[in-house]
Amino acid sequence: MCGIVGYLGKSEAVPVLFDLLRRLEYRGYDSAGIAILNGSIQTSKAKGRVDNLISITPEIMGCTGIGHTRWATHGEPSSENAHPHCNCEGSIAVVHNGIIENYIELKDKLIASGHKFRSETDSEVLPHLIEEYYDGDLESSVRNALSHVRGSYAIAVVSTDEPDQIVIARKDSPLVIGLGNNEHFVASDVAAILKHTKDVIFMGDGEIGVINGGGVKVTTLGGGSVEKNIETIDWDPESAEKSGYEHFMLKEIFEQPAVIRETLSGRISSDGIDLDAALPNVRRIVILACGTSYHAGLFGRYVIERFARIPVDVEIASEFRYIDPIIDCGDLVIAITQSGETADTLAAIREAGSRGSQKLGVVNMLGSSITRECPCIQTRAGPEIGVAATKSFTSQLAVLLLIAIRLGSERRMITTAEMNDLAAGLRQISGNIQRVLNDAARTRECAKLFAGANQFMFMGRGANYPCALEGALKLKEISYIPAEGFAAGELKHGPLALIYEGIPVVAIATKDAVYEKMLGNIKEVKARGATVIGIANESDTEIERYVDHVLRVPDADPWIAPILSSVVLQLFAYYVAYYRDCEIDKPRNLAKSVTVE
Amino acid sequence: MKAVILAAGEGMRCRPLTLTRSKVMLRIANRPMIEYVVQSLAKSGITDIIMVVGYAKERIMNYFGNGKDFGVNIEYTEQKHQLGTAHAIKQAKGSVDDEFLVLNGDNLVSADTIADITKRHTGGTSILTTTGNATSGYALVIESGGGVKKIVEGKILKNIHNINTGIYIFDQTIFDAIEETLQADISGVSEFGITDSIQRMINAGYDVHAHRTDHTWTDVIHSWDLLSVNAMILEGVPDKVHGLADSKINGRVVIGKDSAIGENSYVKGPVIIGRNCDIGPNVVIAPSTSIGDNVTIEPFTYIKNSVIFDDVHIGSHSTIKNTVIGENNVIDSHFVVESRRDLTVELDRKLYHADELGTVIGDDGTIGCDVAVAAGALIGIECRIEAGTVVRKQIPSHALVV
Repeated sequence: MCGIVGYLGKSEAVPVLFDLLRRLEYRGYDSAGIAILNGSIQTSKAKGRVDNLISITPEIMGCTGIGHTRWATHGEPSSENAHPHCNCEGSIAVVHNGIIENYIELKDKLIASGHKFRSETDSEVLPHLIEEYYDGDLESSVRNALSHVRGSYAIAVVSTDEPDQIVIARKDSPLVIGLGNNEHFVASDVAAILKHTKDVIFMGDGEIGVINGGGVKVTTLGGGSVEKNIETIDWDPESAEKSGYEHFMLKEIFEQPAVIRETLSGRISSDGIDLDAALPNVRRIVILACGTSYHAGLFGRYVIERFARIPVDVEIASEFRYIDPIIDCGDLVIAITQSGETADTLAAIREAGSRGSQKLGVVNMLGSSITRECPCIQTRAGPEIGVAATKSFTSQLAVLLLIAIRLGSERRMITTAEMNDLAAGLRQISGNIQRVLNDAARTRECAKLFAGANQFMFMGRGANYPCALEGALKLKEISYIPAEGFAAGELKHGPLALIYEGIPVVAIATKDAVYEKMLGNIKEVKARGATVIGIANESDTEIERYVDHVLRVPDADPWIAPILSSVVLQLFAYYVAYYRDCEIDKPRNLAKSVTVE
Repeated sequence: MKAVILAAGEGMRCRPLTLTRSKVMLRIANRPMIEYVVQSLAKSGITDIIMVVGYAKERIMNYFGNGKDFGVNIEYTEQKHQLGTAHAIKQAKGSVDDEFLVLNGDNLVSADTIADITKRHTGGTSILTTTGNATSGYALVIESGGGVKKIVEGKILKNIHNINTGIYIFDQTIFDAIEETLQADISGVSEFGITDSIQRMINAGYDVHAHRTDHTWTDVIHSWDLLSVNAMILEGVPDKVHGLADSKINGRVVIGKDSAIGENSYVKGPVIIGRNCDIGPNVVIAPSTSIGDNVTIEPFTYIKNSVIFDDVHIGSHSTIKNTVIGENNVIDSHFVVESRRDLTVELDRKLYHADELGTVIGDDGTIGCDVAVAAGALIGIECRIEAGTVVRKQIPSHALVV
């Protein structure tokens, strides 16, 4: 994943690069480094976070520079393996996000021709390769070098021979250029640049760009010309700031009423559901996603099958790619990705497309790679900085409900009157999330009781099952407590063996068709000594007899309740991690968007 | 000069609306009260703002973020326990430079009001006062010889109409006086008022001046005061129609993006309607009404001089006048609110006067069809009122009415 940045302009580059890197830190924080061009190339690198780098960096003058924040894939996190990497002479510096698949082969060749390597990374082959092909023109040398590279990359290159110039290129890793007033910014993610400028150019796959005082020139790696549009981003940069909250995650949890209102705005009317993209009439739907988005996909399956009666398969994108999928033009593939850059999901949807299937994306980030791959429906959650996905998840659930209802009415599986009732239910989501948030203190108290637990189980049935999986994922990723989610009916087939005296079990028991069965499952774990935290409707007066602690959600349609329960589980995970003093916004070993495979 | 806005208190007298948000976030013409303070500061060129937040702080922080959308920079500082204005101002110590302006987040002021203190301030401490006939509940400022002699809290004094607006300019010496106030161990006092600190400064011989303003300074004391203040502010809102309207729109009307007003509806301004609302067909919205975001109103409903918060659903054939409806209420058809003039409302075992009032309903209620509410029968938060009921007296929060 990693994040790369660059600056070329009239101001001192170092503070700008630090600012950009800080904003990209969610992409990785194993090490960070910068290289400044000022006659020679001066680099500064440090293991760990950008703040470490800032504390050890001496004063370096210069108005052109590149930087990097790393999430280690090849080579352990250390300052030697930190980017930028240089060639033997120290005249070329490169930052790279992605994976060079054939780096061993390239490295062997380069070593054979006398190049000296200093790190264990795949990325270091790039400066040496560029040096090998250097012909006095950095752009053409980069072009030549990249023609030998297999894998994914977003790179920024500077050379002492050509001061006041940055060459950038991308393939399968995101890259965007910000156009300021006589200055240019480069970053892996548009949110990092927004504070400096709202006018950006998104680099496409297989494109190379040259940035200098004269402006930006973009061509294809093959040398063809490309017409690039300048896009103006209307996101507010402040939404990428904590403004008073202790953590981004908590801020993003509390933003959800407004986010869901935004997600649904203009999409529901008495005439039906209005979406950004047309939904083709298909025999089968395959949902592809990773991580939290995969859990949203599982929820999508329940609601699409329920309302539209179309069979849905949900596949983990990294598995789907390699199983020789059975898919054709009668299928619709829906890829769900917050960032729109998730490498496995992108590859999987391309794989599906190459087999003729129709494609649709559900994405949060504007202008991301997937939006160029297929028609997309935007979740409109705004920039999400906390590594643990919160508002992006609930907005995905809302979009999937919209898709399900729309498909259902198109296929006449639900009547217009039913559709209007469902749409009216959707309008209540934000208000009900606000209600859950009003009660955050109660969730906090409950979480405090369990902050010392060593293990957790989450269980649910039906549409609450994905919600249980997501609740477990949230908890483990930020609190590091092993937590597993189960379909409650599966307990007897194994997981019940995990139950011991006092283990906390979170049971999602909102009123739906399988509520009674759920009570049965709660009794099963209670009988074996578990401490049960039940998530139940406000009007449920029965639940207290079965569980030890109750967290309430407002009464809502069984298809909407999982969204509300998810918010409770997010708060629960947040406060457990909070009381364990965990680094909530930047959990160890994790990065926000997984742009490597 | 930086400004400190005090926004940490709940504002208990505005319950039930403040059970779920602080008073500064109550909406007037679809904007929280405190936004009018921020706007006036920005207009006066005061763009560095410190908000002292506490109760339900998330709503404030979500709304304003770092202030960029409002043309200002906002920093937040938390008052963990609401121990009075002196304690609240103390929280800003370290964030303010030498001289700073202090205002309450729940008093509407104009840029002219602010100029009345900033332009006349000559150093030392300044207090902005205004004249009012109803002085009860405010601190009175007694002047002599160009300076302030005494600040009197909680009394009504004959012939003294100079009331304290709670707007001040202080320098760093106030923080020492605040420490003295906080240390003074007066038994039975749980709130440390800034007026005590100012009195200490006067006694110690510091310069304290009062300046009087005749410009806007409006206080919302009880929840129903929202109605009159809302009506007043709506008179000045420029009209702007974003959404679709196949209906008759008359006068000054604002309709937000993605909102639709169905056929044969009649909207007579001043009225403001938020984003993503679905209203009508055949709905009448009469003057001085504010409707929040994501509100649905079914056919044949009549609404007049009311404030409807976000996410509310109102069923068909309802009549709502002089009423405040909190967020996320789901109200079924044939809901009728009685409205009366010169009403006496009991709050916390005291009686208060309301000029004209239907009711005030807290957030998150569910009201069945065919419910009638008597004038002044306030309804708490999260109440469930079953079909066919007549609500004759006040309903506490979380109640089930059958």
